[in-house]
Amino acid sequence: MAIQAQNFFRPLRRHLILALALCVGVVLGFSPPAEAALQVRVDQGVTEPIPLAIPDFLGAGQAGKDIATVVRADLERSGLFRALNPASFIEKIADINTPPRFGDWRTIQAQGLVTGQATLQPDGRLRVDFRLWDIFGESQMVGLQYMTTPENWRRIAHLVSDSIYERITGEKGYFDTRIVFVAESGPKLNRRKRLAVMDQDGANPVFLTQGDYLVLTPRFNPTAQMIAYMSYIQAKPRVYLFDLETGRQEVLGNFPNMTFSPRFSPDGKSVIMALETNGNSEIYLMDLATRTTKRLTNDPAIDTAPSFSPDGRQITFESDRGGSQQVYVMNADGSNVHRISFGAGRNGTPVWSPRGDLIAFTKISPNYFGVGVMRPDGSGERLLTHGWQDEGPTWAPNGRVIMFTRTLQAGPGGVGGGSQIWSIDVTGRNERRVLSPGDASDPAWSPLIQ
Amino acid sequence: MLKDGRNGVLKRSMIVSGALHVAVIVAVTMTWPHALNLPDESPPVVPVDLVTIADVTDIAPTAQPAREQPAPQEIEVAPPQPEIVPPPLQAVEVAPSEPEKLPTPKPAPPKDVAQDTGAPANPALPRRKPQPNPRQRFDVDSVLALLDKRAPKPPPPADAKPAETTVRGIGAQDAFTMDLKDALLAQMRECWNVPVGAPDPEQLIVQVRVFLAQDGSLAQPPQLEPATRAAAATNRYMRTAAEAALRAVNVCEPYKRLPPDKYESWREIVMTFDPSKMVGR
Repeated sequence: MAIQAQNFFRPLRRHLILALALCVGVVLGFSPPAEAALQVRVDQGVTEPIPLAIPDFLGAGQAGKDIATVVRADLERSGLFRALNPASFIEKIADINTPPRFGDWRTIQAQGLVTGQATLQPDGRLRVDFRLWDIFGESQMVGLQYMTTPENWRRIAHLVSDSIYERITGEKGYFDTRIVFVAESGPKLNRRKRLAVMDQDGANPVFLTQGDYLVLTPRFNPTAQMIAYMSYIQAKPRVYLFDLETGRQEVLGNFPNMTFSPRFSPDGKSVIMALETNGNSEIYLMDLATRTTKRLTNDPAIDTAPSFSPDGRQITFESDRGGSQQVYVMNADGSNVHRISFGAGRNGTPVWSPRGDLIAFTKISPNYFGVGVMRPDGSGERLLTHGWQDEGPTWAPNGRVIMFTRTLQAGPGGVGGGSQIWSIDVTGRNERRVLSPGDASDPAWSPLIQ
Repeated sequence: MLKDGRNGVLKRSMIVSGALHVAVIVAVTMTWPHALNLPDESPPVVPVDLVTIADVTDIAPTAQPAREQPAPQEIEVAPPQPEIVPPPLQAVEVAPSEPEKLPTPKPAPPKDVAQDTGAPANPALPRRKPQPNPRQRFDVDSVLALLDKRAPKPPPPADAKPAETTVRGIGAQDAFTMDLKDALLAQMRECWNVPVGAPDPEQLIVQVRVFLAQDGSLAQPPQLEPATRAAAATNRYMRTAAEAALRAVNVCEPYKRLPPDKYESWREIVMTFDPSKMVGR
C-alpha cells in the first residue's frame, strides 16, 4: 500500500511542482516593477557669484579688519564670489574655534563662511588663523594658521584668499601674485615709460627704472625674482635681465643687432627671444648658465613673440611666413612648424596658458583689436574682448584669468586716450580694469610667490 | 485491476486539474488589481495642435516666476552643535614679502592706487529682515543668449498654442512625468551655479540622489551616486562640480512645485547635472 501510494504521488508531485511554478510565474509576470527613482537631467543653470560671509577677523586691532577687507576684495574681484554685507549677519562670531550656528548663515543665504583671527605673538610676529565653513554640509572645509611679521599682513590676506578660492573652485588661486608692467606718463610725444611691479590687486606699486630709456615687454621668470625685458638703452634695443633681489640689471647676450620679445622657459634656465638681422627676425634660445644660443627658426619671414608650452616641449610664436601675421606652433627644437590660426584677420602675440589647454592671442582686424583664446591645435577659437586696441595677453598662474592692455582711442584734438590694464575670465565673463598708478601697458603676471 | 488503474488515472487527472485551477485562481486574485492599472492600450484622445513637446517644455520663461518662499516660521535654525569639534589648524610659516627688498627708487604710491587697492567700503546698510529666499536671480536667458552663437530661433506661429494636457491613455504617464521634470528643471536652473571655468567642463557630469519629504523638503542630505563619488575623490574639478551640484540641491529646497498627490513619483530623484550646454567654448 505504501508502495502504491508512493507510485501514485510520484507523477503527481511533478504536476504539482509544475502547477506551482506556473502560479509563481504568473504572479511574477504581473507583479508591478520595483519603485524606481525619477531621473532628471539638469542642463541649465546660472553662472553667478557664490555668496560668502566673511566677517572681520577677530583680534589684533585694525589688522583683523584689514585682512578681511582684502580677502573680500580679492574674492569679489575674481567674479566667482560675492561677499555678503556684514550688516546682514545674524551671528556675531566671537570664537573661531567654536562651530558657527549654520542655520543663522543659511538664513542670510550664505553658502560659505570664513572666520578668522589675527593675534600678535609675544615675539612680535603676527599669527593669523582662519577657517572656511560649508554652511549646507555643516563642516569645516579648510583651517589654516599663518605666522609672519605684522607688516606682511596684506600677503597673508592674499594667501587666505588663495586657500578659499582653491578649496571651492578646485583651481589654484592667483591672489598672492604680482604684475610687472610698463608705467606710462607724460605727453604723447615725450612719453615716459618705466618698468614697474605691483601686487595683482594694484597695491604696493614700485618703479624699477627711472624712465630714461624706453622699456617694453617685461616678463617674469618662474620664481618671480627675475624680469626679462627689452630696453632702448643708448638707443640700442636689446633684451635685459633685472634681478629683483639685488636690483642689478644686465644685457642678455652681446648681439650686434636688435633682440626683443623675451620670455623665460618653464624651468627658468633659458630665455627664448627674437633676434633681428638685416630686417629678418628669427627665434633663438639662450641658455642662461652658459649664455650659448641656438637658432630655432630659419625663414625669410618675421618670426617673433615666442612662448613655451608649460611642459617645455613646444613653442608658439607669430610669423608672417604664410603671407600675413598668424600664430604657429613648433617643437622646442624648432621642428614641426605648423600654423594654427586660420580665423579672420591677423593674429599675433600668442601666449600658452600655464594650464596648457589654451593659447591666448591678439586678434587684429581692420576695425578693432581683441584678445582671444584657442586650443593648441587651433580649434575652438573664441574672442574674449573687443576694443579699439586690446592686445598683449598674459595668463594668471592658474590659467583661469587673462590680463591685457587696453588702449583707448583719443577724442578730437587728441583728448583722452591712454593705456590701461584690464582682466577677463577665460570664460569671457568678469571683464574689469586692473588698478595701476597712471597709464599702464604690457602687463605680465607672475607665478605664485614662493 | 483495469478498473482500479482507470480510477487511478482519473483521480490523478482530477487532482492535477484541481491544482491547476487553484493556481490560476490564486494568480488572478493576486494580480488582478494591478492588471487593472495597466496602461489603456486604446488610442488616446489627444488634441492635435502641431506643437512639439519641446516647444512646450523647453520654452524659456520670459518672466521668472517668483520662487516659493517658506513661511519664516518654518525655518529650522540649527542649534549650535557643540559635539562638532573643528579640526586643528595647519600651521604655515610665511616669509616676509619681497617688495621690502626692492632697492630701486620708491615713489610714493599715487593716491588713486591707495584708494583703489582696498575693497570698496561696505556702507552701513539698514539691517535686512532675514527672509528665506530673497535672492535676486541672475537672468539665465540673457547668459544663454550671450553664449548662443546660433541664428535666433524664429518665433512660433501666431496661432500656435500649447496642446491641452493629455488625461489618459498611452502617454498619460509620459506627460505627467514630463510635467514633473519640467517643474523640477524650472526650479533647478535657478539654483545650479555651473562650474564652467574648469578645463573641459562639459565632461564634469555629476549624478546626485535626492530624497524628498512630502512637503518638498529634503528628507535626508543628498548623496552623490557611486560613480560621481569615486571620480570626485580623485579629481579636484569633479569634486568642485559635485559640491556645486550638492549646493544646488540644498539651495533649491523646498521643492514646492511638485504635486503632493503624486509624491510616490518624486520621493526619490536622481539628478544628472550636465554642464555641456552652459559652456561657452
